[in-house]
Amino acid sequence: MIEWSEQHLMIREALQRFVQEEIVPIHEELEHGDTPPYEVLRKMYSSFGMDEMARTRFEKQIAWEKQGKPPREKKDTADASTRADQTAMSLLPIIELCKYCPGMVTAMGVSVGLTAATIMSKGTIEQKERWGKDVLTFEKIGAWAITEPSSGSDAFGGMKATARREGDEFVLNGSKTFITNGPYADTIVFICKLEEDGVDSRDRRILNFVLDSGMPGLQQGKSLRKMGLHSSPTGELFLTDVRCGMDRLLGGEKALSKGGRSGREGAKDTFNMERAGVTAMALGIVERCLELSVKYANERVQWEKPIGEYQLIQDKLARMEVARMNLQNLVFRTIELAANGRSMNLAEASAMKLYAARAAVEVAMEAVQVYGGNGYMSEYHVEQLARDAKVLQIYAGTDEIQIRAIARELLSR
Amino acid sequence: MKIMVCLKQVPHQDARLDINADGTWIQEDNIKFEINSYDTYALEEALRTKDAGEADVFVVSIGPDRVGQALRTALGMGADRAIHVNDDEANGSDSLGLAKILAAVAKQENPDLIFMGLMSDDDNSAAVAPMLAQLLDIPHTTAAVKVERSNGTVTCDREIEGGAHEVVELTAPCLIAVQTGLNQVRYASLKGIMAAKKKPFDVKSVADLGLSGQVGTGAAKVKIDRIAPPLKGDTAEILSGSTAEVVAGLVSKIKELGLL
Ligand SMILES: Cc1cc2nc3c(=O)[nH]c(=O)nc-3n(C[C@H](O)[C@H](O)[C@H](O)COP(=O)(O)OP(=O)(O)OC[C@H]3O[C@@H](n4cnc5c(N)ncnc54)[C@H](O)[C@@H]3O)c2cc1C
Repeated sequence: MIEWSEQHLMIREALQRFVQEEIVPIHEELEHGDTPPYEVLRKMYSSFGMDEMARTRFEKQIAWEKQGKPPREKKDTADASTRADQTAMSLLPIIELCKYCPGMVTAMGVSVGLTAATIMSKGTIEQKERWGKDVLTFEKIGAWAITEPSSGSDAFGGMKATARREGDEFVLNGSKTFITNGPYADTIVFICKLEEDGVDSRDRRILNFVLDSGMPGLQQGKSLRKMGLHSSPTGELFLTDVRCGMDRLLGGEKALSKGGRSGREGAKDTFNMERAGVTAMALGIVERCLELSVKYANERVQWEKPIGEYQLIQDKLARMEVARMNLQNLVFRTIELAANGRSMNLAEASAMKLYAARAAVEVAMEAVQVYGGNGYMSEYHVEQLARDAKVLQIYAGTDEIQIRAIARELLSR
Repeated sequence: MKIMVCLKQVPHQDARLDINADGTWIQEDNIKFEINSYDTYALEEALRTKDAGEADVFVVSIGPDRVGQALRTALGMGADRAIHVNDDEANGSDSLGLAKILAAVAKQENPDLIFMGLMSDDDNSAAVAPMLAQLLDIPHTTAAVKVERSNGTVTCDREIEGGAHEVVELTAPCLIAVQTGLNQVRYASLKGIMAAKKKPFDVKSVADLGLSGQVGTGAAKVKIDRIAPPLKGDTAEILSGSTAEVVAGLVSKIKELGLL
């Protein structure tokens, strides 16, 4: 893939119109107020038929699984160009929304991406029908909770949240933090460790439970104040003796019968998906920063010349363009891989995420610099993008963790 | 029911407009285009008719290759097929020339309803719709702000001076030129855009429509001599101060000039 197709460009234009008509007028409330992003996101889902598409895909998959067939590989379900289009259709909304509200993308991605994907990959057919479908179509808001106050990068190893077996039931305890959509989630995937006598805490089985908002013992904290990403509510979850049956354990009995360190693999698949999403987010942020910077460099006059005529400013613009080209090529590669029914290995996905996050932060900070004092003011928008971009180096695996994954692969060659 | 929608592709509202070398039109290279805003409402009205029952909605546009994108966008929004009159011979047509081309398409297709925009965002002449209706000898209305259909008749509210509405009833086949804002224009769904690739897309020449020599620059009775940006004058007075001061200043100015 060397460029967006005409269809892709049409989708971008339609999305741009949506952003201008539905998001720009409430941008202030989304980014500097307390308006949660869900209503607009749902409107986007219904306006573009994304809910309908998700429903159809869900129904096809369930019908297939009900015949007792093994889950289909993506490459068996469509031809190459359809697969490319499907991937592009999932990335284009990310790119366009990120030009204004990277937070909204986070709220959306965690719900219809992470949470729904976990239910759809680990759940039984009943669990998919009960929770997966509504989260996929955005009828319900999903949250995916692994991080805890004392475990982040080492999420599994340091995890303290527990599930204790009591007869047919499980009793869940623990607290989670930095949970996207936590304050508003209807459906929560809660990741914890099974209490097992005689097994070292690091080696205990990881279990995924699905919780509904309002269950006794589950408390959803209010939104935490943070540096940026204000259009994505982030909060804490507290579980005190939350009782649930086998029906809420993703995978049911089978999840228990797997031995040893099971339950960890699935989370890694979702990390990979997140990393491709982050690259598309970075591209959206960079495209917008570049567009704004070029405009300002042409307009702003100092010493009787537009600042764009000064080489130091030109250097910034040129670097932004290089980043844009690299990111776009990475997005194209993601689409091309999907078309070929292939996916990246962990090290490659990590390298992509590391580059994307750094590029977005560098470009957004330089955009602030091009704007000078105005860049530091909210009105000019680049300061928001700079604050928002920073999160890309932290969530979905910090830069340091990506570096570790890349180095490990290199050193084991 | 068959519905024809006429679309024009116009420079994007954010496009930078520069005048071309001979001063007769804008520089069209490397600028973005979009569907004329009035026409998007016309298309939406046609698609609503289709949603409410059975209808074959086809979109027609005249212009160079780039116009194909506007037509495919309309297909993505839900139109069933497109006709693109793509022929250099049509270049330089005046309103009557364009109306003749659209009339020739309509005569081949025999639509029950024709929806189009009241005018185009670029040259605002508002002439093509009435001319087309005349050439087809069918009833028409302009500036429609509300359209209601019941078997064979169409009742429209049209905007007239002073903000009043005039209610007119038309018998199909008829032509309705719409005002902006009469409906909420849908977004093309992602699936719709992808499916648009496979919808019928006809390209026609002026000769295919039997109009050789009758349209284009040669036949035009109206020619653009020169276009120019408005001259900057020094008669404007900009009021400054707080909102209350500005309003007070404006009111005294209006009184002073005896405008009320
Ligand atoms: C806005 C936002 C939304 C989030 N949403 C979610 C969510 O929905 N669900 C969820 O479960 N989590 C979520 N998180 C949590 C996120 O995944 C973690 O913050 C992230 O994984 C880092 O963990 P930590 O904050 O505990 O940092 P730590 O792991 O404590 O890291 C602190 C520093 O040490 C470095 N470090 C740690 N280990 C190593 C090492 N081995 N070698 C070198 N350096 C190391 C890190 O890179 C970092 O610089 C979110 C976070 C944010 C900011």
